[in-house]
Amino acid sequence: MPLRPRKKGWSTQFPVKDVGAWRKRPGLATGASRAKAKGTVSAYLFVLPFLVLFGGLTAYPIGYGIYISLHHWNPIVGNSGWVGLSTYAELLFDGSSLFSQQFWQGLGHTVLFVGISVPFLVAVPLIIAYGIYRAGGKSFFRPLYFFPATLSATAVTSIWAWILQTQGGAVNQILGMHLPWLVAQPWAWISIDLVTVWWTSGFNMIILYAGLTQLPKTVFDAAAIDGAGVVSTFFSVAVPQVKPVLVFVGIISTIASFNLFAQPYLLTGGGPGFSTSPITMFIYGEGFNAMHMGTAAAMAFLMGIALAAISLGQYWFARGGGQ
Amino acid sequence: MTNFHLRRTWMTAALLAAGLVVLYFPLAWMVSTALKPLSQAFDGQLIPAVPTLANFRAIFAPGSASPVLRWLGNSLLAAGASSLLVVTVDSLCAFALARLRFPGRRVVFYLIVASLMVPFIAVLIPLYEEFSGLNLLNTYWALILPYGANAFGVFLLYQFFLGVPRELEEAAMADGASRFQLWWKVFVPISIAPMVTLGLITFMNVYNDFLWPLVATTSQNMHTLTVGIALMAIGQYSTNYPLLMALTLCSVVPILLAFIFAQRQLVEGISTTGLTL
Repeated sequence: MPLRPRKKGWSTQFPVKDVGAWRKRPGLATGASRAKAKGTVSAYLFVLPFLVLFGGLTAYPIGYGIYISLHHWNPIVGNSGWVGLSTYAELLFDGSSLFSQQFWQGLGHTVLFVGISVPFLVAVPLIIAYGIYRAGGKSFFRPLYFFPATLSATAVTSIWAWILQTQGGAVNQILGMHLPWLVAQPWAWISIDLVTVWWTSGFNMIILYAGLTQLPKTVFDAAAIDGAGVVSTFFSVAVPQVKPVLVFVGIISTIASFNLFAQPYLLTGGGPGFSTSPITMFIYGEGFNAMHMGTAAAMAFLMGIALAAISLGQYWFARGGGQ
Repeated sequence: MTNFHLRRTWMTAALLAAGLVVLYFPLAWMVSTALKPLSQAFDGQLIPAVPTLANFRAIFAPGSASPVLRWLGNSLLAAGASSLLVVTVDSLCAFALARLRFPGRRVVFYLIVASLMVPFIAVLIPLYEEFSGLNLLNTYWALILPYGANAFGVFLLYQFFLGVPRELEEAAMADGASRFQLWWKVFVPISIAPMVTLGLITFMNVYNDFLWPLVATTSQNMHTLTVGIALMAIGQYSTNYPLLMALTLCSVVPILLAFIFAQRQLVEGISTTGLTL
């Protein structure tokens, strides 16, 4: 069906970030009030499947999680006694408690990982995206650089666990060294960081490349006329012009890195010692190995609050709050 | 001047190509190791001296300790069913939010915004207890349903539906179409591209997910490929790298095929959704 010209009075093109746009929309023209009531019921039927899934698999678990965190809770017997907010108080303030030490240690490791991974997860994809933008050949380079991001954590870590072996691993054979990549610090963190950058840079590259293509071509032409080379144009034009997309990629990478679990779980086992155990591994360990589900639920809830705050920042930014 | 710029372009392309060699080395090493017998695993050669398929034969042999095909089936079923579920449920919901007016729409809208911010880890423990209480651990329900409440997809399709011209809708309504017919006959056909993107992204996320299937499946026959291989890798194969690499290669092949088939759609989809969300 061909698209006819727009009607007067409202636009068919809404600004994509204007998530409140529905307010401006007129409803379907329903004349009689009976038809309107019937229309309301059918509208609910459209949203019902989502609401049922959302209620049962997001909203209810959040409430249930808070309930669990207020009890002693064992996965086999379930509820074994009300403890109120004492688990939270213990986690946050009781320095002598093992749980509290795990919580703060895990949180510290997670924040450390965010700090050492996000700069690379922004810079490396930006350099690749810019290179592809300048060199051309996007239909060749983009999918090839993107592909590792489609692999599972299991595939990625089992490959890297093999090539990072101290004895006989490919990396040490090439370097002619015996670096303890997975079993000593600071190598263990370097390996987790390296593997994560290798794995997920392609995804960020796609978004940054799209950001570069949205820039007016004239900004690059102007730099070329001034005689700026590829490298100086990168710093003087590409980085400042694409900054909003860089911030966006930085935020989604922060959220992804905050959720770190599979790479240390499968590469280092959280070790040596507990030195690469992020908060998620302590939550998993307390909940499913040590059977302290109340404590694990409380840790997870606190971590959830921290993450939701970051997401809220992202939402605020996406709606133009940064401008 | 032109020659100078042309040379710069070729240098950039050469650097990108060199980057690909580094990027793909681990995958090449996986393939190489998978084709070596255990005795030559540590020989440091990229090209196996005596390539063998023995590792693959061992994996697929009847009675093998790793039911790879069963795990692959579980993964494909979970990923396929969740993608269909997400696309259908999200499309219906997005249609109502974008095109219908009803009391409480605002509440639904903000519920969806809020649920975008709930990290999975916050519901891991209660979700496990919920499925445990319903006796649904180690079932396909557990591997499919938790991915169904996908607020991201509602947003994606909602943005798309907002841009659909009103005239299409009015023409259909004038023909006496019901709202369901309007959705099915007008909105679904024109939103195939974003629905395919959403379906692909969901498929890859579910196929590659690790933490939830790790806790939700304890019986070996119900593991997904990622969990099955991870538990094998930690356990008995930890020193038999050729076998582990062959197993890993088997898990990569389906995603590679899907990628070759759908890479354009996927790359374009992430380009647009990345910038809109």
